Amino acid sequence: MTQSTTQPSTQPTTAPTPSQTTPDISGSAMLELGDIHSYYDHIHALKGITLKAYEGEIVALIGGNGAGKTTTLRTISGMMKPRTGTLTYLGEDIAGKPAHKTMQMGMSHVPEGRRIFPQLSVRENLEVGAYTITDRKLIEERVQEGFAYFPRLKERENQLGGTMSGGEQQMLAIARALMVNPRLLLLDEPSMGLSPLFVEAIFDIIVKLNKDHNTTVLLVEQNANMALAIAHRAYVLQTGEMKLSGKASDIAKDESVRKAYLGDE
Amino acid sequence: MELSILLPFIVNVIIGGLVLGFVYAIIALGYTMVYGVLQLINFAHSEVFITGAVVGFEVFRILQDSAMNGYLKLLIALLAAMAVSGLLNVLIERLAYRPLRGSPRLVPLITAIGVSLILQDTLRFLEGLQGRFDLTYTLPAGFGDKFCAAESTCAPVGNFLRTIGVDVQLKDVILVVVALVSLGALNYVVNRTRLGKAIRAVSQDRVTAGLMGIDSNLMISATFLIGGALGGVSGVLFGLKFGTINAYSGFDPGIIAFTAAVLGGIGSIPGAVLGGLLLGVIQNLIGVTNIFGNLLGLANLGTIDASYSKIGPFIVLVLILIFKPTGLLGKSNVEKV
Ligand SMILES: Nc1ncnc2c1ncn2[C@@H]1O[C@H](COP(=O)(O)OP(=O)(O)OP(=O)(O)O)[C@@H](O)[C@H]1O
Ligand SMILES: [Mg+2]
Repeated sequence: MTQSTTQPSTQPTTAPTPSQTTPDISGSAMLELGDIHSYYDHIHALKGITLKAYEGEIVALIGGNGAGKTTTLRTISGMMKPRTGTLTYLGEDIAGKPAHKTMQMGMSHVPEGRRIFPQLSVRENLEVGAYTITDRKLIEERVQEGFAYFPRLKERENQLGGTMSGGEQQMLAIARALMVNPRLLLLDEPSMGLSPLFVEAIFDIIVKLNKDHNTTVLLVEQNANMALAIAHRAYVLQTGEMKLSGKASDIAKDESVRKAYLGDE
Repeated sequence: MELSILLPFIVNVIIGGLVLGFVYAIIALGYTMVYGVLQLINFAHSEVFITGAVVGFEVFRILQDSAMNGYLKLLIALLAAMAVSGLLNVLIERLAYRPLRGSPRLVPLITAIGVSLILQDTLRFLEGLQGRFDLTYTLPAGFGDKFCAAESTCAPVGNFLRTIGVDVQLKDVILVVVALVSLGALNYVVNRTRLGKAIRAVSQDRVTAGLMGIDSNLMISATFLIGGALGGVSGVLFGLKFGTINAYSGFDPGIIAFTAAVLGGIGSIPGAVLGGLLLGVIQNLIGVTNIFGNLLGLANLGTIDASYSKIGPFIVLVLILIFKPTGLLGKSNVEKV
């Protein structure tokens, strides 16, 4: 497949080791999608998606272009309404709840294409990310944490978001989503546009967040090798349908998956 | 004409233009802020603003026999106008524009014109019930006097201004001070507060603002409240400056202030202020073109007098739309709201 052009061949071996902790997946899930159907006008983008994420898990969502990965994240965060199906988060039915409400329930979504506020400075972008926090001291602490994760952002603190490079904007988008210390983090291609060194840094951060804060992560990635290397479980989407699911290590070994998404000939 | 007479004259024309320009600037902010969040030209803003002028008239009328300090009366007039115009603007958005969200842009635009007409006639009706049409401000004593004419502590300033030939009234100074305080307050809210950041985020990317936990509808309402309140302030200032208004007086200054917003770069707050000041000065200068005509020997220009002064802003509008549609401070390098 075309993956090899965007992905240095050394990456799979340098990928961070998966989280050693094994999340408990016997009880009730933190996030649960049951037979979700979502549409863009007449385009039937999700055709009955069923998915679960348990507290403390890293769940990878892989699939080709147009498979519905972004749509799945959008539906979860409330950017769009599912037409039918069930959507529960922390035991609450959130189907059709607007994004600003679900985000107040400890969810963060790094959207596809970064969506940095172009006319806000780097610092202001981070502060807006902390909009739901009113404690100024805590906001400042989180801004500093963000700077610690991405020192580049500190150097560019007062630069307008729109004038940052693509990779810098990606860092800012992730740092912005972490401002609220989310319980559930939805990441839509966080490695997009980053140099191999930074891709690794991003994956390290995801693993660290998961280990240190027990953050649940739903990770959409074109970089499927690396995503599967750090995930506990994975789902494979194809043209709006859930094709396969299971332990990330099993999915990574699956013949058809290797052929379609992992660049095997 | 002698230079010694002409120079102070031009200085006065420019100062008069700046005073007028501050009124335009504050009105223009109402257009530009709403445009910033909704990309809608709120044509009803001219009536939101003139409603503020009517409220100001009513406050001064009701308080005209009261022994209350004149500045206190002004403060009450300003606050009442801000409250009424601000809430009116919120109501307009809620009832007329929000249901049309997502429809083609022409639809809310025409609705805005409709709202504008409804408000004009409603205001006329309400004042007509009391037998009034033209409303003449009863200003507190002294507001119309020359600035620093009497009070001994202040008189040196007034004497100095007169020596250099500058002639301003107390109410002009009050107008500029109120405008500057409003601009300072707006700048603080927009650039320094959590609310301001949220409003800017919504105006730049409403969907992503939602992902930050920001309720964009709430912020749109807040923007209409702030823009409307500024309209209220400008209404009282307009009444202060011109003395007599009626339900239909909002149209001209409204369209000039809209031009100012476009001139500065619609969506840009500093742009609206710059545009307002420029147009105020241009309008006043054009109003005295006959003076230049005499000076330069262009006698035929002598027929252009103050009644043509409003041509200026529209010539500017046409030029700006042809040569720099984004406005002086528009687009990429400027903060939008
Ligand atoms: N705004 C939209 N309007 C109409 N159709 C859309 C829209 N966004 C996505 N779609 C369609 O929905 C389907 C799923 O798209 P989605 O963006 O979820 O794919 P994806 O898996 O994220 O793909 P990629 O890897 O390219 O980002 C595609 O067929 C796409 O064309
Ligand atoms: Mg996508």
